[in-house]
Amino acid sequence: MGPLLTTSVGSFPKPPYLRKARGRVSRGEMDRQELRDLELQATREWIEAQEEIGIDILVDGEMDRGDMVTFFAENLEGMGISGLVRSYGNRYYRKPIATGPIRRKRPVTLDTWKYAQSLTDKPVKGMLTGPYTICDWSFDEYFPNREAFIMNVAEFVRDEARDLEAAGARYIQIDEPALSTRPEEIDVAIRAMGVVTEGLSATTITHICYGDFAKIYPRMLDMPVDIFDLEMANAGYQLLDVFATHPFRKMLSAGVVDVHSHRIEGPEEVADGLRRILTQFSPDKVLVDPDCGLKTRTVGEAKDKLKAVKRGVDLVKAELGVA
Amino acid sequence: MKLTAVGNYPKIGRGPDGQKLRRAIARSDRGEITLEDLARVEDEVTREVIEKQESAGLDMVTDGMIRWDDGQTYIARQLEGFEATGLLRYFDTNTYYRQPVAKGPVGWSGPITVDDYRFATSCTSLPVKAIITGPYTLAKLSRSEHHRDLAHLAMELADAMRQEALALEGEGVPMLQVDEPAIVRNKEDWGLFMQVMERFTRGLNVERMLYTWFGDVSGLDGFFELDFDGFGLDFVMGSANFDLLDGFPTDKTLGLGILDARNVRMESVEQIAKTVMGVSNRVPLDRIHLTPSCGLDYLPRETAIAKLRRMAEGAASLKEAVS
Repeated sequence: MGPLLTTSVGSFPKPPYLRKARGRVSRGEMDRQELRDLELQATREWIEAQEEIGIDILVDGEMDRGDMVTFFAENLEGMGISGLVRSYGNRYYRKPIATGPIRRKRPVTLDTWKYAQSLTDKPVKGMLTGPYTICDWSFDEYFPNREAFIMNVAEFVRDEARDLEAAGARYIQIDEPALSTRPEEIDVAIRAMGVVTEGLSATTITHICYGDFAKIYPRMLDMPVDIFDLEMANAGYQLLDVFATHPFRKMLSAGVVDVHSHRIEGPEEVADGLRRILTQFSPDKVLVDPDCGLKTRTVGEAKDKLKAVKRGVDLVKAELGVA
Repeated sequence: MKLTAVGNYPKIGRGPDGQKLRRAIARSDRGEITLEDLARVEDEVTREVIEKQESAGLDMVTDGMIRWDDGQTYIARQLEGFEATGLLRYFDTNTYYRQPVAKGPVGWSGPITVDDYRFATSCTSLPVKAIITGPYTLAKLSRSEHHRDLAHLAMELADAMRQEALALEGEGVPMLQVDEPAIVRNKEDWGLFMQVMERFTRGLNVERMLYTWFGDVSGLDGFFELDFDGFGLDFVMGSANFDLLDGFPTDKTLGLGILDARNVRMESVEQIAKTVMGVSNRVPLDRIHLTPSCGLDYLPRETAIAKLRRMAEGAASLKEAVS
């Protein structure tokens, strides 16, 4: 792998025409096939945008996913949607629920990945939500305990990963943003990830966020994946202090722009963050991306954030004398 | 034995009528309706959730905390000295709250929940339990740009919340519930907690219970000796609480939180009756408040109602068994 490859965490904002179409489908005013066509159109636009900006490892942008857990729950036997639960303030989400053994009716992520990969010669990451996060963000009225639920979902995620690899995916990302919520459950999360990644030859990545990393570090490094994708910019690069306590010993996909602010970081600001990271990591062990999924930004802001990543990387690469 | 709820109640339910509060808040945010219009909808929904609690068979109701965005902001924004800032995860839930930040000395500048209490009592002939967030939890979940340390902020808040408790006492509330969930997850603060509670309860005469959830109170030496008339505990996430009941004081009330308010899975009538029966060997039934394990805001409204009904069925079956 080359030094400082650029990539994205996963989600991009849906263009306004797609958001409107999703609303119309939920009100029964548009059929699913029409929506699907628009999802593919938006996917194509994002692939083109990433190529134009010069990103190295692309994503399909998750144009067909609402929420990273609900999307899977809606496509699985044994899972469904329980009802509306408050997230904060006046925001609500449709919380998934396990009602029986988890089985997939058909591959869930394969078609969109294949479509995205057919549009480009650059690698497109396969994007999955990890078993621990799917379970942690769902109700359960079937399994005898959390571990049984998590390990059953792990088998589903494993099947998705194997399908993606068989179709040619060279990078597979299995996101576990919930991992840092309950440090006492990290062992079962690690075992579940083992089920997913065992025997895969693709490069594996996991994205973890929101958390108190001091509580799960260095134990989290035992997650059986090759690359950890972490939000470095948001916490003002304080994570480096945590990493200094114990050798990182895995590759880092480093988030260098804040996804929660409208402000677009300048190339020098991004380069600065990257230089701090390179005091602890060698360039060929580092990939570079935004802190998290960009889906809450506007399309324009998201593109500008990606450009900021790319420009910052180019600055640092020039200093290092690498292409 | 009395049946009651722990505090909050889901603000919205299925269908257009169930969603009216959500719509009203959105319209108020956009400036399309006045704050008075919004308050009218809040009143309406409060009345509805009190009726739901009544019809489920509760003996004492809460106002459902329909007006509270979360346990911290609602209080903090009506105290002097606080501003609300970014979103933070509420313990290990998927619910977020706006973190209050103290910009200067904090203090009570007038009643916060008294009007809410008055309105709630006008909706029902049942006793209404008033609820406030305790000073320690309020301090722990906030940040300060002014205070020396947590103790400094918590002691100021002890005075402020004592004023609020006195205001409620003046209204003649039959029961004041003081929420202090943060202590079960930060047991190292036990010494400070005792001081804060001593200051908070000084001179209070109102009948009051201290409520915690998401953990147990084991290791908090002297917890049941705090100057409260009873203690509400979570026996789902804090099953170790069962082991502490041998030492439960003979003149205090136990809030027995045994219905899981964080999962939709229904407890059976037999299970509820059996658990209460087991506890009644150590704490007599007439000093038990049977409750869900925490507030019901983590459940879809339909499930929340079903849980309260199931709780009442469990209590009825127990009554039959002992009569």
